[in-house]
Amino acid sequence: PSPALPRSRARSGGGERGHEGEAEDPNSEEEEETKQAMGSKTWRELAGDLKLFLWNREERTCMGRTATSWGLILLFYFVFYTCLAGMFAFCMYVMLLTLSPYTPTYRDRVSPPGVMIRPYLHGFTIAFNVSKRSTWQPYVDSMHRFLAAYDDKVQEEKNIECVAGRYFVQGGHEGEEKKACRFKRSLLQSCSGLGDPTFGYSRGQPCVLLKMNRIIGYRPGAGVPVSVDCKVQKGNESDLRSVDFYPGNGTFDLMYYPYYGKITHVNYTSPLVAMHFTDVKRNNLVPIQCSLKGEGIINDVNNDRFLGRILFTLSIGK
Amino acid sequence: MEEKYGTSISKGLSSARAAEILARDGPNSLTPPKATPEIVKFLKQMVGGFSILLWIGAAFSWISFGIQFAQGAESPFDNLYLGVVLALVVILTGIFAYYQEAKSTNIMASFSKMIPQQALVIRDAEKKELPADQLVVGDIVEIKGGDRIPADIRLIFTQGCKVDNSSLTGESEPQSRSCDFTHENPLETRNIAFYSTTCVEGTATGIVINTGDRTIIGRIASLASGVGNGKTPIAIEIEHFVYLVAGVAISIGVLFFIISVSMRYKILDSIIFLIGIIVANVPEGLLATVTVSLSLTAKRMAKKNCLVKNLEAVETLGSTSIICSDKTGTLTQNRMTVAHLWFDDQIYSADTSEDQTSKYPFDQSSQTWTALSKIVTLCNRAEFRPGQENLPVMKRVVVGDASETALLKFAEVVLGDVMDIRARNKKVAEIPFNSTNKFQLSIHETDDRNDKRFLLVMKGAPERILERCSTIMINGKEEPLDSEKAEAFQTAYMELGGMGERVLGFCHLYLPENEFPDTYPFDTDSMNFPTSNLCFVGLLSMIDPPRSTVPDAVSKCRSAGIKVIMVTGDHPITAKAIAKSVGIISATSETVEDMAKRLNVPVERVDRRQATAAVVNGMELKDMSLQQLDEVLCNHSEIVFARTSPQQKLIIVEGCQRQGAVVAVTGDGVNDSPALKKADIGIAMGIAGSDAAKNAADMVLLDDNFASIVTGVEEGRLIFDNLKKTIAYTLTKNIAELCPFLIYIIASIPMPIGTITILFIDLGTDIIPSVALAYEKAESDIMNRRPRNKSKDRLVNEQLAVYSYLHIGIMQSVGAFVTYFTVYAEQGFLPTTLLGVRVNWESNAINDFEDSYGQEWTKYQRTYLQWTGYTAFFVSITIQQVADLIIRKTRRNSIFQQGLFRTSFLTPRFQYWFVAVPFAILIWVYDEVRKLFIRRYPGSK
Repeated sequence: PSPALPRSRARSGGGERGHEGEAEDPNSEEEEETKQAMGSKTWRELAGDLKLFLWNREERTCMGRTATSWGLILLFYFVFYTCLAGMFAFCMYVMLLTLSPYTPTYRDRVSPPGVMIRPYLHGFTIAFNVSKRSTWQPYVDSMHRFLAAYDDKVQEEKNIECVAGRYFVQGGHEGEEKKACRFKRSLLQSCSGLGDPTFGYSRGQPCVLLKMNRIIGYRPGAGVPVSVDCKVQKGNESDLRSVDFYPGNGTFDLMYYPYYGKITHVNYTSPLVAMHFTDVKRNNLVPIQCSLKGEGIINDVNNDRFLGRILFTLSIGK
Repeated sequence: MEEKYGTSISKGLSSARAAEILARDGPNSLTPPKATPEIVKFLKQMVGGFSILLWIGAAFSWISFGIQFAQGAESPFDNLYLGVVLALVVILTGIFAYYQEAKSTNIMASFSKMIPQQALVIRDAEKKELPADQLVVGDIVEIKGGDRIPADIRLIFTQGCKVDNSSLTGESEPQSRSCDFTHENPLETRNIAFYSTTCVEGTATGIVINTGDRTIIGRIASLASGVGNGKTPIAIEIEHFVYLVAGVAISIGVLFFIISVSMRYKILDSIIFLIGIIVANVPEGLLATVTVSLSLTAKRMAKKNCLVKNLEAVETLGSTSIICSDKTGTLTQNRMTVAHLWFDDQIYSADTSEDQTSKYPFDQSSQTWTALSKIVTLCNRAEFRPGQENLPVMKRVVVGDASETALLKFAEVVLGDVMDIRARNKKVAEIPFNSTNKFQLSIHETDDRNDKRFLLVMKGAPERILERCSTIMINGKEEPLDSEKAEAFQTAYMELGGMGERVLGFCHLYLPENEFPDTYPFDTDSMNFPTSNLCFVGLLSMIDPPRSTVPDAVSKCRSAGIKVIMVTGDHPITAKAIAKSVGIISATSETVEDMAKRLNVPVERVDRRQATAAVVNGMELKDMSLQQLDEVLCNHSEIVFARTSPQQKLIIVEGCQRQGAVVAVTGDGVNDSPALKKADIGIAMGIAGSDAAKNAADMVLLDDNFASIVTGVEEGRLIFDNLKKTIAYTLTKNIAELCPFLIYIIASIPMPIGTITILFIDLGTDIIPSVALAYEKAESDIMNRRPRNKSKDRLVNEQLAVYSYLHIGIMQSVGAFVTYFTVYAEQGFLPTTLLGVRVNWESNAINDFEDSYGQEWTKYQRTYLQWTGYTAFFVSITIQQVADLIIRKTRRNSIFQQGLFRTSFLTPRFQYWFVAVPFAILIWVYDEVRKLFIRRYPGSK
């Protein structure tokens, strides 16, 4: 029998059932009255309909379908969606086959590089009181954690010494493992945390590390190392009196580029520039913008305040 | 009288007094039914349908903007804009729908203003031509043949005045009017002429006694506005659809609101998801599409002479299951035409088509025909109005009554210039037709110079004519009229009469030259000439013939499962004859009376259920109970109601509606207006119809032709089919718009598609194909299906929703997701990386977000990528909608049966166009398989 029959009956059941019920149900007259008074079905009838819809004893249907019907329907949807899932998986598989595991197909959205700083806790405000250790200790911990990968021992163990001043281009097969250049923590000198384990925070001269975002195959500066410069953003220039840059004069050496992706360039560590804010006005919010300077670097896009530059605020208290 | 109305019969009112009364009573015109104020109509469009949901969405957007703004979040303006866009969408679609409606109302307004009426009034002792609405009580007006009566008028002087009260009573038989008071009831008395009826002939002068709404017509018209008018079927369907979609939107929205809250999303985020889900679910463009489709169809129908007043009526016509049609003018040509001739003991049929295209099929060589044609030509007072020589004969205006006109036109067509023949056979005496004589006689000189005899010609009621004859002309020879010939005459007379035709007998006599010389003074009062022992020549029968397109239209209705019921004030025999000739009563079916006759048993003993046809007399109908009427309507498939009063029409309509039918009613008189209003779709006649009927109707037939209704039915069915396709098309992508949200919430992937993008799909790229579907041609079986069952064939039913949502919609979503993942993967984010990244992905602080290849992204770069994803998702929905469009072209037929179509898209340049193509193809193939199954196994669930 067609499964639609009981369903339509269950649905329009109000009227029909009203008639059927009259003979057996002594309350039907009363119900009829309330029905007229309300102008539509009573709650009781509705509940009855719902119950009938959920489980119809006579027709042995649940929600208007018999067990066989439900079985067939569920089987259909199971098969249908399985096939669909199969097709989805197949399409994804084919799509993934077209991808190279080493280099993404397009890199137009990720370049030119963005910039990030360390320490990074929540946002871009570095605020602490020199006298209160607990206010700057988290920053120091963050720095130490971050620099752990740059420990001289680790670097010496895993990475090779490269020739400074030129790109470290590695030929050979795409899938071959690539060598990474050493970037020793000690290069950061007074910001290495080796001499002063508090990175100057205990003295109110905090170090901030600046890191350029990794982009596969990107050669920043087109032969001339990209450098970093900091200045006060929209404020009194004199609030920031001196900044020291390490290593060198705050440049990213060419030998650390290009990057070959995390599969082949396993031990790659991003080069860093440490900025040592040795003389910043105390007890004041000092907004600072540090930007990259170099060929091909874009640092003036309005919407993206992290493209080629970074904005953060220093607030050093006593 | 003069005193009562403060006027003077000779001088009329003074202008000053008239102006005074005009100021008191208002102009002499019917107050149009109260219109809803424009602003209310406009506001209704703003809150109807999905608008409420969208307003809620907009309100939520603004609330969340307010909260974000107060919290000082980074880019709170997104939500402000979203709210503004949503509000704009509602307002713009509202304005659009309002504009469409206003436009269709305007068509009607211009229609009723087409003919400004003038009246000839005596004022200040001068005759003046005034606009009819300037008339006041007490004005003396003069009317002449052809005028419309400008107000209710008490006649004070008449000369052969006859009026046609059809606009009031439906009876088109002219009634004579005189100055005599003949009945208590103003409707029956002869000395009152009513507003909006027409003076057919003669002249009259009268005093205006009622103007404007106080006239009899005015009162009926205001009564009609009291008859309730339910919602149109399409309005009910759309409401049902809105409830369905709104229900889905709200329940999914609330469900996911709860899910997202319990997944520890912020309340604010959850609200934003909720807005997204609502926006994804609501087909914003659909109501506009529906309006456009309806008005496009209305336009198309107007071209086919169906002027639709109410846009929704377009579809109502398509779901019609019973048409109650007038006879006169709608099924017939509304002009008497000679249909048959009988002479030489043989019946010939004449050409009754509108344009007289068939050649004269009867034998014109017989001498009898020559004699008969002479009588027809000469014994006739009707004349063509001058200056119509270039018009086809059938279209010329004739002065004279209906039968004489028919004879004149017949003669003109068959013989040529009648006026010339008459001039060559000068009339010397004449007795016009009157009801006591029942004949018309004239005596002429003949155009035969050698024959100096006068010719006496006579026509009239056949039995009266035969009484006066002693001979009969057979093949040009006079033969004595014996009983055998008289029997033949009787048989022919009965046969013609049985066809519902009006039969006239014709006879002549050449007066002997010796008794009636040239100078004989004929005196019609003393009748100094023989009026008996004439020579009988033949019979002519006339009928108001069916329009040539009607039989075909009726059979189309029949195959379309529409019952056609004829409701006429005419005689049952005539009504039945016309019904038979147009196929309302099919050739094989019998009425109870027919069966009784065939079986030769009394009518009572016939099993009524065996008779498929029924001719119900108005008198019988009066005595019927509602149950009996229901029984008649139920048991007989072919029904003719004859001699019905227009009030009974309302009863018939209600009876049909009790059967659950969607009833279309045609009407022209004012008193039809209650029935027109009561009907699901009232169809007024554009030519013969009164303004009141046109006001009450939903549709106006510009050519008064029944066949136009059938065209309308086809268009109506087409629009329903096409709307169904449009909705199926629109609903499909809802899932593809909704799924991203759901997966975004559950799997925490970057947002695949933005709310604004969804709006752009709904209102931008999807509207054109939706409208294109409204242009889709009818499927081959459209007029062979039964009318849709109001309660079962919904615009959106469960199957359609399930198929759109769970089958095609899911396929589309999967296809779109493949594109989405492709875009992200090619940019460096493999699918596995994307799962669960939502929080970090959307964090403004993380600007070195690492992808699957180790590259690092700023927030803005990610956002930019996300937009690329939106576009790709959008594009793949669009490309799959192309497949959807193709599959929706037909409901049952294969695309190969219907032929592919050309719809162009504005396409953004993008390689991701093709990612979803396999899925588009899958959708198509899948649907072809479904259609194949439906065709193979029709009717299965």
